[in-house]
Amino acid sequence: MTGATVQVPATSAVEDAHGPIITVRDLSFRYPGAARDTLRNVTLDIPRGGFVAVVGDNGSGKTTLCKTFNGLVPHYWAGEFAGEVRVAGVDTFTSCVAELSATVGYVYQDFQNQLVRPTVLDEVSFAPVNFGLADHRERATEALETLGLMDLAEKFVWQLSGGQAHLVALAAVLAMRPQVLVVDEPVAELDPARAEMIYQRLAALNTEHGITVVTIEHHAEFIARYARSVLLMDDGAPTWHLPVAEAFARSQELEAHGIPAPQTVQAVRALGLGGAPRTVAAAAEELRRLVPAGSAPVGCAPAVAETGARPGTPGEPCAGDGRGEVGTAVVRARGVAHAYRSVSGQLEPVLRGIDLVLAAGERIALVGSNGSGKTTLLRMLAGLAVPREGRIVVDGLDTRSASPAVLADHVAYLLQHPQQMFLTDSVRSDVALFPSQRKRPGTTELVAQVLDRVRLTGLADRDGRTLSGGQQRRGTLAIGLAMRPRLLLLDEPTSSLDSASRDDVIGMLADLRAHIECAVIATHDMHLVAEWATRVLVLDRGRVLADGTPRQILSEAGVLARARLRPPQVTQIGQALGLEPVPLSVAELAALVRGEEA
Amino acid sequence: MARKHRDVLTVEWVKLELIRTAYASRGGLFARMDPRVVVLWYLVLAIVPWLTHNITVLALLFALGVVSVVLARVGPLVLGLFVIGLGFDIVYTAVASLFFGGGWETLAALGMLNLKLGAVSMFSMAAFVSLDPEKLSDALLAFRAPKLLAFGVSYGYRMLPILMEEFITVFDGHRLRSAPVERPGLFGWRVVVRVAKTAVRCFYPIFLNTAVNVRTTIEALETKGFTYGAPDARALRLGTLRVAGIDWAVCAATAVLLTGAVLAGQAWPMFR
Repeated sequence: MTGATVQVPATSAVEDAHGPIITVRDLSFRYPGAARDTLRNVTLDIPRGGFVAVVGDNGSGKTTLCKTFNGLVPHYWAGEFAGEVRVAGVDTFTSCVAELSATVGYVYQDFQNQLVRPTVLDEVSFAPVNFGLADHRERATEALETLGLMDLAEKFVWQLSGGQAHLVALAAVLAMRPQVLVVDEPVAELDPARAEMIYQRLAALNTEHGITVVTIEHHAEFIARYARSVLLMDDGAPTWHLPVAEAFARSQELEAHGIPAPQTVQAVRALGLGGAPRTVAAAAEELRRLVPAGSAPVGCAPAVAETGARPGTPGEPCAGDGRGEVGTAVVRARGVAHAYRSVSGQLEPVLRGIDLVLAAGERIALVGSNGSGKTTLLRMLAGLAVPREGRIVVDGLDTRSASPAVLADHVAYLLQHPQQMFLTDSVRSDVALFPSQRKRPGTTELVAQVLDRVRLTGLADRDGRTLSGGQQRRGTLAIGLAMRPRLLLLDEPTSSLDSASRDDVIGMLADLRAHIECAVIATHDMHLVAEWATRVLVLDRGRVLADGTPRQILSEAGVLARARLRPPQVTQIGQALGLEPVPLSVAELAALVRGEEA
Repeated sequence: MARKHRDVLTVEWVKLELIRTAYASRGGLFARMDPRVVVLWYLVLAIVPWLTHNITVLALLFALGVVSVVLARVGPLVLGLFVIGLGFDIVYTAVASLFFGGGWETLAALGMLNLKLGAVSMFSMAAFVSLDPEKLSDALLAFRAPKLLAFGVSYGYRMLPILMEEFITVFDGHRLRSAPVERPGLFGWRVVVRVAKTAVRCFYPIFLNTAVNVRTTIEALETKGFTYGAPDARALRLGTLRVAGIDWAVCAATAVLLTGAVLAGQAWPMFR
């Protein structure tokens, strides 16, 4: 980079008010040492004031493409660069990262690592100060005000929740008053309610401030509701760039690239209708014609519960209803209360008066907003901490009298971030760690069997950190299985996974039913709740707010609102249509609607 | 032995104490001062004890150190470590000097060294407990320390709680997945060996995980113009620093007390 000689314009030059803000012509790029080009002959325009969703498989070059916009490619990632990228009229090849960053702001997927200063205000004014802009205070204040973050200005960055940290990273970028914002997978690390908030802010920046927004995204729901155009990348080149309605009309193509159509579209398709409704309201409108007006709801699902048959997949026990065969108690918790001491010395309660019995044969989803005490409860069940008050008995062992290492023979706890579970230099030795340390007979066979079950045998000799997100998740699952626990605890097993890997993990969890007596998953993923759980525990500020089957919980609007949960779109459509009981999957919705038709 | 939740002398407590110390969250006199003045104040007081052998002066400086520690509201962890360290130092110098043929004479000489070290340590605690990372990095920048050093200091502070958290998580992972120690042995030596080994093993995943995470940080620094080198950046960053009344007052009080100590030393000199 040749930063020292380049002037950063105080206000970015607007040379052509109507043309595209970014033009890419015949761009090819190859990382140093790579065997083939990551970007191949890319030509595209990003319109000024647009809201573009970039989609495509892992490794299709989405992130590399976006890094050409602020010059990280080719100035930071030096490689073979051919073709031309112009941003607001400036040729990126002859410019530099610093200069381009005044025009293009970039928010990373792992935004936590993007925050480099101790306090929020310092972080937000850091870039303007580095560029020697005298009005850095005003810029920082303006950026914080735009995003409604003034209350956080004096906070330390490690005190922020995930959603707040993302907004601060965004504010730090806005302080440079960019014309383009690139946001890499905002939903990956955040719960749905917070992801929604980020998108609303991005939409406001786009419409009110005229900022061009480019997001890398694979959640069809968000693309459908917020983006104006969709750019599909395949193997390093754009397949097409179309307005969002036209893009969703090609839902099969999207599906082939790991973007399953939103449930609104799937529902309409399943009932043989055309069209691609992008919101729940629109989908409900389309489907209303099929539901005879005024007809009393037919008791389809209670019948389902009685016969044990799931609509659409006859013979399969339904995930949403009933607790199935409930066996002996695996966990008994009585009057459990806990509080953490904060930096200022106060006690901050996280769990209050929890009474629970978890039984063999149950698949339990633990839901609730961030800070509701889910992770603390899991840590208590694993015996990593003991509660201040109350008693927890796991598989007959009181957690106060047994050490965590002894409890580990009965409970396996899988952390939210898989990389923290890879303690050795290969997946195989990580899986073998527990059984071999405890000198279990047949460890080698057990490890081979478990690796086979999670389909990682071929990758078993690599360090877990070098695997993809979905593979890492399966690796941690293998670690848990090799511990042969009676109780399996999982913290957010589907967060930051793309749709395909997520479905893969959910499928694998379903397949493992036979091998684990009782499983508890803390999650924000309502699809996982609907498709996997037999029982849902809703935590709200440290208390159990509701406890029931997924169908009961997902149809209770009051509970959902208090716990900041959003049911899957298909359930929302069912509610909008007044279906009783609410559907949990597209197949159920279709069956309900058809049932009422007949 | 029933496990009970404890609030002090746990890993969690150590983490909180380190954060409170690093981020000056307890406030105190020096936390309200201009960081440049605090650093200068510290430099003076860290050098003065080395310039005299007069025990009267040193004792008064030691007392001044105690007062500064109280005014700076130094937390129990750092203070406890200091007291334990000083205590052990006194015990082992006594044992060593008596064992190896020294007499009370040697002990007095070593005692004076401890008095000096104690005073300097207390001034260091008072100063650095009162400087949060931003202030310290601004002060370093003001004294024309390299920009990278100033940034490195503040970044190190930012990473501290995160690394501690990561260490606890990985350590717990090892605890859960290795076999419990069946026979602790004399004084639980097997447990001690296990803990030491585990602590070392924790570094492998932590290093690699941190290396992965820091890649984004470096790119982000590039986009935030950290390497850009705008000529006014330093002036802008330091523009908010002001030397106010409290700074002058503390400097004046320190000067008076130092002079007083030296005069007292001349009036009632005490050498070994």
